[in-house]
Amino acid sequence: MPKIIIDGQEIECRPGIPVLQAALEAGMDIPHYCYHPGLSVVASCRLCLMEMKMPHPRTGEMDWAPKLFPACQTPAKDGLEVRFDSDAVRQNQRHVMEFYLLNHPLDCPVCDKAGECYLQDYSEQFGSASSRMIEDKQKNPKKDIGPRTLLYQDRCVLCTRCVRFVDEIAGTGELRVVNRGNLAEIDVFPGVPLDNELQGNVVDVCPVGALLSKDFLFKQRVWLLRSTKSVSPTDSRGQTIFIDHNEEGVHRIRPRYNEKVNEWWISDEARFGWKYIQRPDRLSTPCVRIENELRPERWEAIPDILRASFAEAAKGNDGAAVGVVLSPMMACEEAWLLTRFIRQLAPEATIALGYVPVVGEDRTFPKGFVIKAEKCPNRRGIETILEHAAGNTTDFAGFLARAIEGAFKAAYVVGGYPDEWVTDRRITDALAKTGFLVLQDLFPSALDGMAAVQMPAASWTEREGTFMNCDGLIQPFERALLPLEGLKPDGQFLFELAGYEGLYRAGRVREMMAGELPPFADVFTPMETPKHAH
Amino acid sequence: MSWQAIDRKTVADEDLGPGLSDAVSEKIRSFFSRYPTKRAVLLPALHVAQDAIGYVSLRAMREIADLLELPASAVMDVVSFYTHFWTQPRGRKTIVLCRSLTCELMGGKEVKEAIQQRLSIGEHETTPDGEWSFMTEECLGACEHAPCMLINEKLHKAVRVEDLDRILADPNNDKVDMARSDLFDAPKKNG
Amino acid sequence: MPYERVLMKNVGVSNSTSLDVYRAGGGYDGAAQALKATPQEIVELVKKANLRGRGGAGFPAGVKWGFLPPDREITYLCVNADESEPPTFCNRVLIENDPHMLLEGILIAGFATRTTIAYIYIRGEFVEQFHILQKAIDEAYAAGYFGKNILGTGYDLDCYIHRGAGAYVCGEETGLIESLEGKRGWPRIKPPFPAVEGAFHKPTVVNNVETLACLPHIMTRGLDWWLSVGVENSYGPKMYCISGPVNRPGCYEGPLGVTCRELIYGEDFGGGMRGGEKVKAILPGGLSMGALRGDVFPKNTGDVDPTQDVDELDCRLDFDDVRRYGLMGLGTAAAVVVPESADIRDVLVNVARFYALESCGQCTQCREGTSWMYKIAQRIQSGAGRILDLDLIEEVTHNMGMMPGLSICGLPDGAAWPLRMLVQKFRKEFEQRIAEQSPDATAQRARDVNPAVYELPLVEGRATSYGGGTFHVPQTR
Repeated sequence: MPKIIIDGQEIECRPGIPVLQAALEAGMDIPHYCYHPGLSVVASCRLCLMEMKMPHPRTGEMDWAPKLFPACQTPAKDGLEVRFDSDAVRQNQRHVMEFYLLNHPLDCPVCDKAGECYLQDYSEQFGSASSRMIEDKQKNPKKDIGPRTLLYQDRCVLCTRCVRFVDEIAGTGELRVVNRGNLAEIDVFPGVPLDNELQGNVVDVCPVGALLSKDFLFKQRVWLLRSTKSVSPTDSRGQTIFIDHNEEGVHRIRPRYNEKVNEWWISDEARFGWKYIQRPDRLSTPCVRIENELRPERWEAIPDILRASFAEAAKGNDGAAVGVVLSPMMACEEAWLLTRFIRQLAPEATIALGYVPVVGEDRTFPKGFVIKAEKCPNRRGIETILEHAAGNTTDFAGFLARAIEGAFKAAYVVGGYPDEWVTDRRITDALAKTGFLVLQDLFPSALDGMAAVQMPAASWTEREGTFMNCDGLIQPFERALLPLEGLKPDGQFLFELAGYEGLYRAGRVREMMAGELPPFADVFTPMETPKHAH
Repeated sequence: MSWQAIDRKTVADEDLGPGLSDAVSEKIRSFFSRYPTKRAVLLPALHVAQDAIGYVSLRAMREIADLLELPASAVMDVVSFYTHFWTQPRGRKTIVLCRSLTCELMGGKEVKEAIQQRLSIGEHETTPDGEWSFMTEECLGACEHAPCMLINEKLHKAVRVEDLDRILADPNNDKVDMARSDLFDAPKKNG
Repeated sequence: MPYERVLMKNVGVSNSTSLDVYRAGGGYDGAAQALKATPQEIVELVKKANLRGRGGAGFPAGVKWGFLPPDREITYLCVNADESEPPTFCNRVLIENDPHMLLEGILIAGFATRTTIAYIYIRGEFVEQFHILQKAIDEAYAAGYFGKNILGTGYDLDCYIHRGAGAYVCGEETGLIESLEGKRGWPRIKPPFPAVEGAFHKPTVVNNVETLACLPHIMTRGLDWWLSVGVENSYGPKMYCISGPVNRPGCYEGPLGVTCRELIYGEDFGGGMRGGEKVKAILPGGLSMGALRGDVFPKNTGDVDPTQDVDELDCRLDFDDVRRYGLMGLGTAAAVVVPESADIRDVLVNVARFYALESCGQCTQCREGTSWMYKIAQRIQSGAGRILDLDLIEEVTHNMGMMPGLSICGLPDGAAWPLRMLVQKFRKEFEQRIAEQSPDATAQRARDVNPAVYELPLVEGRATSYGGGTFHVPQTR
């Protein structure tokens, strides 16, 4: 672990990183634009320049060189001594900030980036309070460069992060710099818009409000949003995210750094694939079928109804006629609680993994980002729970095969998918043969007609728990929103159903699980990015 | 309107301009043996394409991108960086006048005004009859004969305002005196 | 003093571009000599000769060659014929009149650096010169000087011309390499240096045309002759260019160390000013190095003091004396003379425009600073300048490019030096012109641009210069 000295302070840093990254990881606020740990180094913004001690050409002793070096380009070698706390460095920062603001439009009142804009932050800390330029500013047009992104060229500071991202990480190279000098702009080839599965990340890497997401345009000010740590349920990779929300609901989703899964990026699916939680046809009240019609029922009454019906169905053969389908959209804790409930009543019940939606093939991008074909977050988590559940366990096809023979007198089927999932006739045919069908889902589906009890599910933003990703990492997600009016989140309901009292907390349930499932004693929390990195 | 966005998502087919003939593509491919990567052929390819069509159209950029296995945006990037390449149709003869310090001290401004007045065009514009285009460029490297200008390939030295009529009227004002190499020429059509 | 022309010996000779004429004058003998030795011996010879690069930086060519990793397999030699620095034209004269001297130099340098392919990067505007050079290359190939098994020594070298397309920044070493690779000519960050990882990720050497043209003469005339020409630390002949309203503008050869006065008035060089005018300014190293005061100012009788308004034409043009007068360096030794009748504001605008339009746009200071300087210069030229603007130019050019390391390449340094020196050395003229303006011209102009601006406090104050670090930093004021 090399040791370097920054501003007189000795810092131990990871090998192979530039001085800038070492300083940021030590908590120092060094201004920078073009440097990003996930992209190649260009050292073009000239904001991170520092002073370094070098051997004097004549005497050979170490002294401060009369030259500034970019911190993002200098690797942190053992014994290096640098400083950011000097007149030359501070002056350079002030001068470069002045140059940045020369042609920048005064758009803060209408710019989406206000509140998380590094021009604002660095100007306040390192820049000047007033402008000395009385000339006409360089005005650039606004460009519609893709189906989901806008480019407000006049705000661009040409850090080229977006160009490098699209070239290196996404591999498509749609964004480029055109023209040169002060007339330089970012642009796409006309007719070849910015349209790849990772393009939403350019809005995050842009340090100013030049690249904007059409989805979030003019919707909300960022200081009115709270960020919650979560995991995206859109595919089995388990990309970690921040959900930005307030009382109005979710406004946007941003990546959360994860050194083992998605690093700094998320796919567009994860970024924009949450709108389904706002659909108007979401279920919010439990219903029980009375005289061939589903009628609303109180939450407090449901557990007894379920216990009674399942106990009835379990009579005789220790519950072999009872089935449970655990959706891979459920959290591990919820699945475990439901399994406990059923095993208490029906030791021989068939517990099955639910429908696993698969779309296309796995896509791997240059530099290693993967979008999985499996579009559910917790198949492995459910499979792990199934392994440890005694008795009959099977997959969805196996469950359907038995159901179609009329094997189940009672079944608890959990859905919770963002899209229509009851598309195959085999599902409806099989579950039509089930006696007492309890359906827990987000939206109405073709199974409603045969459900005896219809339970509303909560979306992942309204629940807390963990997902196990395709590589076995157990990642916790926190509750961001309050559930819909009248909705009790799955975890709380299943907690009570399993016979426990009090508030469902995912941590408490994991402690209980850890006895029989040791992996759940520890969850994986990714490294925090340095406070001043962006 | 500054708040209306320019649409880059689609482009009309007629706006793409002319493409490259097979002979031109063949000529571009002949450069592959000179360089270790296909990308390095980009500048020679653009010179050939500009000689073939008169300018570098969007369609030519796309076709060159396919030949060189590059994204089209990379070709657009390079074309817009260099001042030699035109992206809009230009006249049969292009006047490139030097605007650097020596030529300006030796009367370059008067020559520029005279050209613009005689042809009634501004910088980077083309006469309606498609004969002349005009642009200025930084130091052409002939400062001992300032002011100087290029008409297509020929370098005209010590141009004075009184010489302009004669130069513009001369039908051979773009023919060079020395033996030419056709390395960067587009293949001429036969017949 | 009858100086024997070496680099320019074939200028004016009939049919000088042909191989036969070149060989008749002893051409390709130097290459034949070099190819009998080993590459390492040639590198040592060039190091001893202290052949300094003629492209502007003055970096010793032998030292540059010495940086190549010894275990390399492929080496590229890039010949920098992208002569875009105004008002330089000596490479053009050489290529037009004696292309084989350049090709012989390429052969010697290629052999010394074990080059596999040599690319001549010639600027797009040099079309006629391209034709001449390509014909010369074809002749050289036919005669066996390029291609396989050159002169029976087993050495292979290919030489191709790569045409540029109008970018000054592609004359910069790494900008040239990027342009050669088919990308936009954005200079690269160093390290890695081109000698280790250059064109196509292989070791690369970039040399100027004139530097390579010196090599045949070092071989044939020998080290002693070379060290006898020029002054200490600046050996060998140099092609000087003089342009502007002098009687004999053109390219003249002389030993390093000719003074500016000699260059303008000497009968072997400029031959005096047209119409007997006096010199207001001379930019002796090309635009990027800065300006010197001319004989319109009183004669200097004391020591060199760049702060005094005296005649500075006694500056010797070698790699070291120019720095005493505050210039950044010798540059290309191509001088443009500004006569006393010229308006200094026009000169400022012209210089500022060059850098504003040729900046590549990567580094913040260069991209924004050059453009800002151009706009200020335009405003001063149009009669709406302020005294404050002169201080502003001084300060901003200092922020932009006086301290090394502020940017990736040397363009902002080249932009900062002449603008700063013009504003400092000719300040009285600027102040006089500003005094002649109408009183509220500037405020009116500022209001036209942005009605609110004149209500903001305009920052006052004189330029400050950085005095940090413990090494001696040359101060110009």
